Amino acid sequence: MSEPIVQLSNVTKRIGNRTIIDHLTLDLHPGEVYGFLGPNGSGKTTTIRMMVGLMKLTEGEITIKGHSITDSFEKAIRQVGAIVENPEMYKYLSGYKNLVHYARMVPGITRQRIDEVVKLVGLQGRIHDKVKTYSLGMRQRLGVAQAIMHKPSLLILDEPTNGLDPVGIRELRDYLRHLAKSEGITVFVSSHLLSEMELMCDRVAIIQHGKLIDERVISQDGPAKDAVSRYRFEVDRPSEALELLAQHSAVVTQEGIELDTDRETAAWINAQLVSAGLKVYGFRPHVKSLEEQFLEVTGGETVG
Amino acid sequence: MGNFMELVRNENMKIYSRLRTWIMMGIMLVIMLAASIVVLLLDEGVKSMWTVLNSEVFSGTMLVTIFTVIIAADSVAGEFSSGTIKLLLIRPWSRSKILLSKYISVIQFAIFFLAVLFVWTYIWNGLFFGFSSGSLQELTNESSTGSVWSFVLSGLGLQFISMMLTTVTISFLLSTVFRSGGLSIGLSLFLMFMSDTIAGLMSLIDKPWKDYFWFMQSNLTQYLSNGPDVTHEHTIYFSLGILLVYYVVFLAITWWQFMRRDITS
Ligand SMILES: Nc1ncnc2c1ncn2[C@@H]1O[C@H](COP(=O)(O)OP(=O)(O)OP(=O)(O)O)[C@@H](O)[C@H]1O
Ligand SMILES: [Mg+2]
Repeated sequence: MSEPIVQLSNVTKRIGNRTIIDHLTLDLHPGEVYGFLGPNGSGKTTTIRMMVGLMKLTEGEITIKGHSITDSFEKAIRQVGAIVENPEMYKYLSGYKNLVHYARMVPGITRQRIDEVVKLVGLQGRIHDKVKTYSLGMRQRLGVAQAIMHKPSLLILDEPTNGLDPVGIRELRDYLRHLAKSEGITVFVSSHLLSEMELMCDRVAIIQHGKLIDERVISQDGPAKDAVSRYRFEVDRPSEALELLAQHSAVVTQEGIELDTDRETAAWINAQLVSAGLKVYGFRPHVKSLEEQFLEVTGGETVG
Repeated sequence: MGNFMELVRNENMKIYSRLRTWIMMGIMLVIMLAASIVVLLLDEGVKSMWTVLNSEVFSGTMLVTIFTVIIAADSVAGEFSSGTIKLLLIRPWSRSKILLSKYISVIQFAIFFLAVLFVWTYIWNGLFFGFSSGSLQELTNESSTGSVWSFVLSGLGLQFISMMLTTVTISFLLSTVFRSGGLSIGLSLFLMFMSDTIAGLMSLIDKPWKDYFWFMQSNLTQYLSNGPDVTHEHTIYFSLGILLVYYVVFLAITWWQFMRRDITS
C-alpha cells in the first residue's frame, strides 16, 4: 500500500482529568474515503479539531503529508480543507463574499475557481444572496465549497450530510467518491449515519469513549464469491432440515434454519433439502449491515 | 507565503459590510452637524470656525473611541460567538498574524473615522462661520504663536494615541480573553469614563508610585499648552513611556491568550 498521507499516532486529549481521546492511532492513504463512526460524544469532533490545529494534543502526534500539525502548522494545514461541526459562515456577507474571504487567505485561487466550485455545489442561483437567508442545506453546500476551493489533498468533513436532502446527500456522496478516485484526495468523514458510510467509504473506524474499537474495510463491490456468510433457508419443516444438515451446525429460527456457509455449498444444501422432500421457499445470504455491526461493537449504547 | 495585506482586507470587508458601521458613521455626522447648527443659532460671540471645530473634534474623538471599542470588541469575540473562528483559523496563517490583521483593521477604523470627523467639521464650520486661518489666541489663553492647524491636529493625534494605547487595546484584550463582546465593551468603556475620576482620587494620594498607573497619564493633550506660565508635573515622554509599558503588557496578554487557547466554540 502507498505511504499514508495522514498519520495519527497515540493521539490523546485530556481536558481537566477527563480523557476525551485515548491513544488514537490511524493511518489514512491517498485517495481513500475514510469513515469515522461513533455514537454521540465519542470524540469525533474533538479528533477533527486536533487534526486541523484548533485544539492542542495532550499527547501523541498528527502529521499531514509529513508535516506535523503542531510544529509546522502552516505547511500541514495548507493540505487540508475542512468543515468542523456546523458550517458557520459570515451571515451578513453573501455566499460569494464568504468564498472570496477564504480565497484571499490561500494564494492562487482565481475568480474562475470560485465560480467553478459554486457551480459544483449547485449554489449558482443564490450565491450573491446574504448567508442569513440560506437554509441549513445551502450553508452545508457553501461549507463544502470553501473546503474544496483550494484543492486540498485531505478533505475533513464533520457530519457533512447533516441538513442535506436526499438529492444533496447523493450528490455529495458521488462527488466525494469522484474526488477520491480521480483526483487522489483523501476524504475523512465523520457521521453517525451508518448506511451513508457504507455507501461512501472504503474503510471505517469506529470509536467509542475516545478509543478506537474497530477498523474495517468496506467492499464497494459486495462480498466476494467464496466468502462465508450466514445463509437463511425458509423451509416448511425446520426440524427435519436440521437433522438432515447435522454436520453443518445449523440452528432453527422463526422462518426456517440458519447456518454459516459459502455460495456453492448453499446451492448444494438446497438440492439436498429438496430431494429429501422438503419445501424450500427461498434461501439467501444475510449480510450484516454496518449498522448491525456498529450496534454490535458499541453494545448499542447511545451516548458515549 | 501569502500576502498579509489580504488578511487586513478581509477584516475591513467584514467591518464595512455591516450596516452597523455605517449607522455609527451616520450618528457621528449628524451629531457634529447638529452641534454646529446649535452654536450657529444660539451663540453670537463665535470668534472663528476654529473654536467650534476644536471642541467638536475633542468630543467627537470620545465618540470615535466608543465606536472603535465596539469594533475591537466584536473583532475577536464576534468570530467566537458566530463560530466562524473555526473556519478562519484553519488557513495557512499563524494565529498571531490573523490576530494582527484584526488589530490593524481596528486601528485603520479609528483613523478613518477621525479623518472623516475632521473633514466633516472643517467643512460645516467653515461654511457656517467663514473659512479662516484662525489664530492660536482664540483657542488657548496664552499668547503663544504657531499654527492653528498644527495645534488642532496635534490634539487629535494625542487623543488618538492615548485612546489606542489604553481603551481600545483593553477592549481588544478583553474581547480575546473573555470571548464576549458585550463584556469587553462594557468594561473598557467603564474604565475609560472612570479614569478621570480614578485619576482625581489618586492624585490625592501623596505617594510617588501613584504616577505609574495609566489613569494618571492618559491625558496627553494637557502637554499641548506649554507657555512660560504653564507647569506640568511630568514630561510628555514620561506619560508616553508609562502608557507604552502598559500597552506592551496588554498586547502580550492578548496574543498569548489567543495563541494558546483551544478553539471549542
Ligand atoms: N471543551 C470541552 N470541555 C470538556 N469536555 C468536552 C469539551 N468538548 C467536548 N467535550 C467532551 O468530549 C467528548 C467528545 O465530544 P465530541 O464533540 O468530540 O463528540 P462527537 O463524537 O463529535 O459527538 P457528536 O456525535 O454528538 O457530534 C464529549 O463527552 C464531550 O462532553
Ligand atoms: Mg461532533
